Amino acid sequence: MTPDGVVKRKQPRFLRQPGPFNPIRIKMESSPFGRHIRLSLKPGETLFDAIVKPLAELNVRAASMTILGGAFETLDYCVAPPDPEGDAVVAYSKPITAGQSYMIFGNATLGISIEEKPLVHCHAVIRTESGDVMGGHIVTEQAVVGNNPISVLVISLEGFELHQAYDEETKISLLQPMEVDSHE
Amino acid sequence: MSDLILVESGKMGRVAYARIAPNEDMILGIEKLCLAQGFKHAFVRGALGSLVDAGLEGSDGKIIEVKGPAVEIVSLAGEVRSEENGTPCASLSGVVADPEGKVYGGLFLLGYNPICVTLEVTLEEWLPDVDPVSRTVRQRQ
Repeated sequence: MTPDGVVKRKQPRFLRQPGPFNPIRIKMESSPFGRHIRLSLKPGETLFDAIVKPLAELNVRAASMTILGGAFETLDYCVAPPDPEGDAVVAYSKPITAGQSYMIFGNATLGISIEEKPLVHCHAVIRTESGDVMGGHIVTEQAVVGNNPISVLVISLEGFELHQAYDEETKISLLQPMEVDSHE
Repeated sequence: MSDLILVESGKMGRVAYARIAPNEDMILGIEKLCLAQGFKHAFVRGALGSLVDAGLEGSDGKIIEVKGPAVEIVSLAGEVRSEENGTPCASLSGVVADPEGKVYGGLFLLGYNPICVTLEVTLEEWLPDVDPVSRTVRQRQ
């Protein structure tokens, strides 16, 4: 019960975002089909390059990926605690070095950054060099694939792209689906 | 249990991607995405994002409450099946990481998983040869 006598039901915690509420709560795009691709991540390459290079050759600019298990020579990850600056509700921590790690399972999204370059957003469960099982946001440019290729199931997103754009409500740049202008 | 279908043949259909906004319930958000796209049945083909807090079903019937923010979604698997009245019903399980990176896993509970910053989710429509609701045979194309 609240101090003013209102009976409180069990409910999830909501956070007040720093920016104005956007009435569009689900921003979506769809396509009649997706191309399915099995990718092998090349040993010695960064996770970023091992995803971006082969998909660029296939002209895939947007994709959703499942990264199956595999070893990394080195890997850094971030967690997302409350933003110490208070600009947003949370902010990524400084990269945490996991060392020689095993990625147990990962999901990744290929999109286009604000600078119009490829962007890979990846979250994964890993076993770190010390043996701890941890999870978080993978720094794809600093994760180096180990001695063996790692399988990835890719589903391409056709007819629309994922662009990183500044989100006024959260004050964070996020991937957003956007229709491709076929007249360009 | 006599109506239990052990094998269901079909094919994949349309693909939908969504960014779901803060404070929306993850499960309801995915169900509404199916409604909006006209998907009767779908599989989650990829998802990542963050939750304010997470609520998972424990093996003893208790709720595993993972305190955020943010609780990162590091693995999400599941499907959406429509009930006879057309209501899409999502069953989602996965692994989340708390603000220190410690991981927890299980079935996500309806109403306990509000989105923190964003949820990126890709769904692939599942088109069974025989509609599990009406049991009518769909013409193969």
